[in-house]
Amino acid sequence: MNLELRQIVMLLGTLTCLLGVILSIRTARTRFDRIETSGQDVNMGITRLPALAFAKLVAFAALIALPAGAVFIANYHTFEGVHEVRGCASCHVMLPMVNDMRDPNSGTLAARHYKNRWIAEDQCYHCHSDYGLAGNLEAKMTGFRHLARYTSRTYHEPIEARVRFDNKNCLNCHAGTPRFEAVQSHKTAHERLVSNQMICLNCHGQAHPTSAQRTPGSNDYARLMEKMK
Amino acid sequence: MSSESDPRHKRPQTFSDITRREVLLTLGGVAAAVGAGAATWGGLELMVRSRQTVERWNKAVCRFCGTGCGVMIGMKEGRVVDVRGDELAHNKGVLCIKGSMLPELTRIGGRLTSPKIRRRGKLVDASWDEAMGLVAAKFAESIHQSGPDSVAFYGSGQLLTEESYTANKLFKAGIRTNNVDGNPRLCMASAATGYISTYGKDEPPGCYADADYAHFFFLIGANSYECHQPIFERIRQRKRANPDTLIVCVDPRRTKTAEHSDIHLPVIPGTDLLLLNAMAFVIFDQGLQNQSFIDRHVRFSDGEHDADQAAFRRFLQSYAPEKVEQELGVSATDIRRVAYLFATSPATMSLWTMGINQRTQGTSLNNMINTLHLVTGQIGRPGATPFSLTGQPNACGGVRDTGALSHALPGGRVVANPQHRREMEQIWKVPEGTISDKVGFDAVNLFRAMEDGRVKAALIMCTNPGATLPAAARYQAAMENCFTVVSDVVEDSETQRHAQVVLPAALWIEKEGVTGQGERRYQLTPKLLTPPGQARSDLEMLVDLAERLGHGKLITARTPRAVWDEWREVSSHSLYNFKGITYDRLEKERGLQWPCPTEDHPGTARRYVEGDDPFVTKGAGIEFYGNHDKKAVVYLRPYTPSPEKTSMEYPLYLTTGRVLEQFHTGTLTDRIAELHEATGDAMFDLNPEDARRLGVQTGDRIEVKSKYGSVTGEARTTEASRLGVIFAAFYDWKLLVNRAVADNYDVTSKEPEFKVTAVSVSKVMA
Repeated sequence: MNLELRQIVMLLGTLTCLLGVILSIRTARTRFDRIETSGQDVNMGITRLPALAFAKLVAFAALIALPAGAVFIANYHTFEGVHEVRGCASCHVMLPMVNDMRDPNSGTLAARHYKNRWIAEDQCYHCHSDYGLAGNLEAKMTGFRHLARYTSRTYHEPIEARVRFDNKNCLNCHAGTPRFEAVQSHKTAHERLVSNQMICLNCHGQAHPTSAQRTPGSNDYARLMEKMK
Repeated sequence: MSSESDPRHKRPQTFSDITRREVLLTLGGVAAAVGAGAATWGGLELMVRSRQTVERWNKAVCRFCGTGCGVMIGMKEGRVVDVRGDELAHNKGVLCIKGSMLPELTRIGGRLTSPKIRRRGKLVDASWDEAMGLVAAKFAESIHQSGPDSVAFYGSGQLLTEESYTANKLFKAGIRTNNVDGNPRLCMASAATGYISTYGKDEPPGCYADADYAHFFFLIGANSYECHQPIFERIRQRKRANPDTLIVCVDPRRTKTAEHSDIHLPVIPGTDLLLLNAMAFVIFDQGLQNQSFIDRHVRFSDGEHDADQAAFRRFLQSYAPEKVEQELGVSATDIRRVAYLFATSPATMSLWTMGINQRTQGTSLNNMINTLHLVTGQIGRPGATPFSLTGQPNACGGVRDTGALSHALPGGRVVANPQHRREMEQIWKVPEGTISDKVGFDAVNLFRAMEDGRVKAALIMCTNPGATLPAAARYQAAMENCFTVVSDVVEDSETQRHAQVVLPAALWIEKEGVTGQGERRYQLTPKLLTPPGQARSDLEMLVDLAERLGHGKLITARTPRAVWDEWREVSSHSLYNFKGITYDRLEKERGLQWPCPTEDHPGTARRYVEGDDPFVTKGAGIEFYGNHDKKAVVYLRPYTPSPEKTSMEYPLYLTTGRVLEQFHTGTLTDRIAELHEATGDAMFDLNPEDARRLGVQTGDRIEVKSKYGSVTGEARTTEASRLGVIFAAFYDWKLLVNRAVADNYDVTSKEPEFKVTAVSVSKVMA
């Protein structure tokens, strides 16, 4: 069987949750005041624990360790999962970006990078590399804010980015390549590009569909919002 | 006590068993959870919001070239802190390096902050009252002693529409002289005369968005990679999305545009009418013409009399590719290939600019490019259009449309036509006969009239003719011979050095007004900053002058909005009708393309096309309504060699142009550190073979000499220069290459031939 890390993590998370539920039920049914009187040791294989200590251990696992583990695994899974394009596409406000990226006739930066296979996989994450598990705290906060807005349906289309896009996402791949260095304007604007005072898009155009295209009722809206196949 | 009897351990069986304490605890828990969640969310909202570096984004238009890119200006604490391309504007968020540096434009050094009057040879500070009092007195004296034609206005494609309109009205209907011209004469006059003679009306039929649909781009005399970069980026994006798209570049130099093209035809300077005529020959010879389009929409003319298709074909016989290839410098095979591709592509878009316009045959060249589109039917469909790019942000809207040129009147009228004069007199409510029937002085002839004293006082606004005119030394001296008034934004320019009065002007977003870019699109720039010192808008200066010269009752509209309202009302009496383009709409919308007769009209992307253009008769499909028979004219335009043919004495061709980082004479862009660094001093580019023959190496100083003057500068060898061609950019006042440029112009458009000068080159010994 050929399991990807993501699937293993998902399986592990599911098992953790199941175990947590089972142990929680068990803990709930435990009468701690009666254990003392019965007082039998429990055989743990490598050691023997008094029944009360065992019950407390189970309670600790059920109420603290396993939930914490589940939260960690869930976060890990989310952060890793959203590296994938379909992770982004699972929120329907992101459909216009993903649909446009996969449209061979689109001229946006995202579409050109995708069509020309400049990025082999995880195309969204490659240019927005601050939101993964290793990303910065600000991106995490932004991500949770998006989650809160999305799940509570308290957002308005077209959505707008609040934080400034970091040019590093572009420069990581492009800086230093002969084609990049051959352009005089890149030298002229070097300081401003590195310090994010000037955005790369000023010369290279739209990255995604415009806010006008993403506004409900626009000519392109229905096409951009088509469900992913 | 057993647990069963302890009420604390008793599990509730029904709701009535739940104690009040338990209910409160549960509610408290839920409230705490909700509170924690809300607090986290609220905290996140606040924390994420705090990252904004801009307080407010304002919509405006770039200050520089004729592309007229929409920009978003980020303001914080009264300062411009960021500029981005406006993704909703026609340029879809794309700018060039100059546009990206706009925040620095608001902070350039050397701004002119006080009016100045020349006293004992030196410009010294004066009050507005003193300066304007002197200007008005000198103008009044000259008008009184030598008549209204002894004064002149020389404007700019960088003034706002409201300013050019007001100047035109003041001089033509107030002072009663048609001596109103400006730097657009040096830039797109041939495109205007080309369009007017072909279609009856000025301005391009197509739009920038045609680049998204074209399959074949024919760029001739245009280095758009450097001069109109957002448009070339659009062309490249079209090619990236559709790799079958072909780009052809016709240019004597291997420019950046040529480098990024599929086919480069390096013609010999001054000969490309041979190429266009040869392409027309191939089109008819190979039966590639669109006969039904020709039959329905085209009339032939030799310039004086009507002709027919047979006469046109006979005329083309002497331009067979094999007959012209030697003189043109491009092989017959290449000519035939390009002609075939031009005619047979699903949609062909031609783009041209100064390489075509700044020529003694500029009008003919423009006619012929339009002809190639007309005879192949490559017009009036998305992607199929002839399109002249323009150099300045408001040459089209401000000067061509308002008729602020010496032969013109607003809305496509001309001073030579008595009916046109009468119409404008009625619209402006001035007595019949107010507007002079005498065509005023065009740019070059205006400065010649200053030279010999026919023009005694001139107001120059927002331009630097001391550096931009050909044979520059001659016309710098001419300004000395006249009472020259210059309004400018920066201290010290080649023009100011010869001026008697200098007036400090507001720059870009220090004043409000409308600009009209290359595709008939009007856009509004808001006032976001206060001008430095005593600087004022040019409109305020013109209103002041009108008042002082006693024309206050004529110039009643005195704010940008009031002038615009008057001008759009005036436009409604013409086929340029844009009455529907109000300030309110311009504040909300991303510019609007005329014709746009009503406030609910969306504007016209493609002119002469039914469904787009409101003036096309229903059912006509395509209708060239600017001409009386509603047909476009195909002219028989013979090639005549430039007067600047190379000779033994002057064996090389000098040609001039722009570089990406600099705009015009660099008065604005060269004051921005990064842009100055990027270009350094202008140099002469020589082909290595020419350089070797002349014993010149990169870094050597050379003297470039023509019949008109000589310039000394540093040489640089590059394959980009065709053999026999030397190039210098005109932004650098230290080089001032225009001192050597030939003083010839097109007899129809009066546009000087900056692109062809025969020169000799010699190494300067240290």
